[in-house]
Amino acid sequence: MKRVVVDPVTRIEGHLRVEVKLDETTGKVEDALSSGTAWRGLELIMNDRDPRDAWAFIQRICGVCTTAHALSSLRAVEDALQIEIPRNANYIRNIMAASQSVQDHVIHFYHLHALDWVSPVSALKADPAATAALQNTILETYKLPFAGPIEFDTNAYPKEFPKSTTVYFKAMQDKIKKIVESGQLGIFAAQWWDHPDYDILPPEVHLMAVAHYLEMLDKQRDIVTSHVVFGGKNPHPHYVVGGMSCSISMNDMNAPVNTERLAVVDRSINTTIDLVNYFYVPDILAIGQLYVQKGYIDGGGLAKERVIGFGDYPEDTFSGTTNGSFHKNLLLRSNGIVENFAQGVEIATFYEFKPEDLSDPDVLNEGVEHSWYKYPDSEGKDLHPWDGVTKANYTGPKEGTKTNWKTLDEEGKYSWLKTPKWRGKMAEVGPLARYIIVYTKMKKGLLPEPTWVEKMIVDQIEAVSKVLNLKPEVWMTTMVGRTAVRGLEAQVHAYIGKYFFDKLVKNIKSGDTAVANMTKWDPSTWPKECKGVGLYEAPRGALSHWVVIKDGKISNYQAVVPTTWNACPRDGKAGHGAYEMAMMDTKVKIADKPLEILKVVRSFDPCMACATHLYNATGKKLRVVTTDPYFGTKTE
Amino acid sequence: MKRESMWEVYLRKGMNRRSFIKSCVALTSILGLSTDMLSTVVAAAEKNALPVVIWLHGHECTGCDESFLRSATPLTSDVVLNMIALEYSHALSASAGEPFEAHLHEIMEQFKGKYILAVEGAVATADNGIYCMTGGRPFVEVVKEVAKNAAAIIEYGSCATWGGIQAAKPNPTGSVSVTDVVGNKPIVKVPGCPPIPEVMTGVIMHYALFGQLPPLDSEGRPKQFFANRIHDTCYRRPFFDAGMFAEKFDDAGSKAGWCLYKLGCRGPETYNSCGNMRWWNGLSYPIQSGHGCIGCSNPNFWDDAPFYNRLPSYAPIGDIDKVGAAVAGLTVAGVGVHAVASVIQKKKHQADENKPEDKKVD
Repeated sequence: MKRVVVDPVTRIEGHLRVEVKLDETTGKVEDALSSGTAWRGLELIMNDRDPRDAWAFIQRICGVCTTAHALSSLRAVEDALQIEIPRNANYIRNIMAASQSVQDHVIHFYHLHALDWVSPVSALKADPAATAALQNTILETYKLPFAGPIEFDTNAYPKEFPKSTTVYFKAMQDKIKKIVESGQLGIFAAQWWDHPDYDILPPEVHLMAVAHYLEMLDKQRDIVTSHVVFGGKNPHPHYVVGGMSCSISMNDMNAPVNTERLAVVDRSINTTIDLVNYFYVPDILAIGQLYVQKGYIDGGGLAKERVIGFGDYPEDTFSGTTNGSFHKNLLLRSNGIVENFAQGVEIATFYEFKPEDLSDPDVLNEGVEHSWYKYPDSEGKDLHPWDGVTKANYTGPKEGTKTNWKTLDEEGKYSWLKTPKWRGKMAEVGPLARYIIVYTKMKKGLLPEPTWVEKMIVDQIEAVSKVLNLKPEVWMTTMVGRTAVRGLEAQVHAYIGKYFFDKLVKNIKSGDTAVANMTKWDPSTWPKECKGVGLYEAPRGALSHWVVIKDGKISNYQAVVPTTWNACPRDGKAGHGAYEMAMMDTKVKIADKPLEILKVVRSFDPCMACATHLYNATGKKLRVVTTDPYFGTKTE
Repeated sequence: MKRESMWEVYLRKGMNRRSFIKSCVALTSILGLSTDMLSTVVAAAEKNALPVVIWLHGHECTGCDESFLRSATPLTSDVVLNMIALEYSHALSASAGEPFEAHLHEIMEQFKGKYILAVEGAVATADNGIYCMTGGRPFVEVVKEVAKNAAAIIEYGSCATWGGIQAAKPNPTGSVSVTDVVGNKPIVKVPGCPPIPEVMTGVIMHYALFGQLPPLDSEGRPKQFFANRIHDTCYRRPFFDAGMFAEKFDDAGSKAGWCLYKLGCRGPETYNSCGNMRWWNGLSYPIQSGHGCIGCSNPNFWDDAPFYNRLPSYAPIGDIDKVGAAVAGLTVAGVGVHAVASVIQKKKHQADENKPEDKKVD
């Protein structure tokens, strides 16, 4: 038995360490440990702040899934203060959310995950002419023909299209060759390029994928242009509680939104649809099929047993989340829990997630058995987010010192992540969870009037099952499935952007230009004490923000985040979280080069800054900084 | 080991003179230089060595990395593959774990005193730094070790520059800026939450082209990007001068693009390029999208919240309404203080011009 440590795990957001106990003769992972190794205390910093500022602060949880936390926070504060945002604001936020999801998924696949699958070194062995032919075959074979509803198609022809000529791939290959020969590999340095997993794909796929890595590096920015128009920048665009700040006027070029600005967004949405249809989906299905054909159907882990989702994309305005209004008109009803999907959709069990569950302390809560925190009262009882407390209790590693770890202590505390639970059980979240939930609900007849998004999801799953010649429960609950479904979801989200853009235009046409509801802007209009929750399907899964407001200020703020659900430490009763389960469901060929472990962990798109919590520290000395814009800064 | 110049790299990678010159043109404009500087840029790019860059992550959100990736002029792929040797990056590097850490130490040894250290994120110092561990060690130790033999340090974003959001009160992790822990080093501060993409790539290219840090102000910020207040470069400035303000979000003034000063805009005290460069190569910036500036490149701006309180309630130069009234007796209070502020700023600039204080690296 060998213990293998990977720290830092790179090509992720934040600080993650994994350790596995490996049986070297069989390649079986006997135990696995996932540890978030940093926390920043943001939720604590939220205390006593103006709730109208919350979105700006809490958006800084993460700059990769930028906006996800802002939108969830806005929903929580608007739920607490009972503010209904105008139609246009709902459409605009949905456009921004959809474009963020696509951009996040594209960056994840091409820039964070791809180098686990493809290698610039292998690309050198490719025949450029064969690569050009392969590109053509891939487009013909793997382009999925699905599309969302389009009112007014402004895209005359696909502007973003893969180049499939010999000359292009020869030029790409020459470039890679010179980088490799120079020995100065930069971002490609020090990887296990000799790992046998890089032989799963033929050299031509490597060359094509490396070319697309570079193309997407330069094109991903165009996907989030809507953030710059509506929110002024990206990452971290701006919002207001009550709607949006980007007023609409067709009478003024100085207006934040007018026809010219809408044209910019329209162009970006068209670009997004092209990039997903002609690059992302064909690439991911071609690579996925080659893996599946060679028998790589491991890495499913907890997805086989239990997944959870909250649902998202309100079609129209809603009056709140805790009152059930949010869940009444969703475009993506991925709300609920599915157990045992791996045994087939007939055997799988579906559980509703009801609005009243949000306030029930026994439904959603968090434990700290293996987290570096201590609950004030009884260690055993898990706490609901509205009552969440987190007091640091750093115990150090099993071997090594508190500031120089050898191995962490799986018997004790080993992570800055808490352990979120649904009715005392672990669950996986993410695109795969959403797809499993929607598919199960549809097949069980629980969505008698499906939305176009739900229909498209089922069509995609069935088309891919046909291509792979495997049942959904077999291919979806794997590492490949988790990665492939993310690409499918990007296709749906690209069209969600278009769908809400059309709705926005139609609504403006009807004469409604309002983007902000300011009736409850003044704190004197707020109740003395109130609570709210904001649900959101973030790129990495189900996200919830929980706020308690007292006397016009935030008195408690908690975020239960997708990566916390997935990367959390184990629990004596509930078992392992999704990362640990997936690692234990993965075979490792070479103990010193655990590429498979990194690949399966990255299939979740880790976002560690999102996942870590805070504690209620008191008496810490403050650094007092005085700012004078004309004479400089003093720190006392 | 001889380091290649940008032109040598273009030669080695089989790229022609034309594309090299095109890159130089793009860089000349992005660096804010006039076109007659082109020949200087070309000459610099032909001669000078490519910088090896080690990019570390402390307490951060990776928003600065993401912003860096959004650069269009120069394109991110051109920066990462042809203009710098990005040898260590948690965001982009293929490698992980032990071989990755070993590579870091090889690079530090091989390019001792020559590499650039880019840091994203604050340094957690409380309880010996255990709130931010990387590779099994506190980040504070790692950053000190790598900084020791760096030629220069770039602090990317407001967290590395001033401590950022985790340093907002009550600062539970004892987070501080990189400057606070690394001591006497040439440091470029590139604040912003995040900084504008082309500001991030522009700073690194200045070093690549000219072999020295860009001219810095007294705070250590590159002057070309941080010399102007957003207020002074804002397209809504004429409305401020005319006393035409949005009074609440989505009112008639908001729709007409009037000044956001009364909705809390920090433009009058914020030094950044949002007003002149804008985001996405001139497309927009928060004010153009109808939201006041939150001053995200200012030290400790998080504790200057609530963001919707207008400047007088916390302004460092006193109550703007009173100052304005006293100076000019104007009906629009802000204008008066603005005049005062401008005089102060002008004096400061004159003082700067007289002092040869630009930091340089040999």
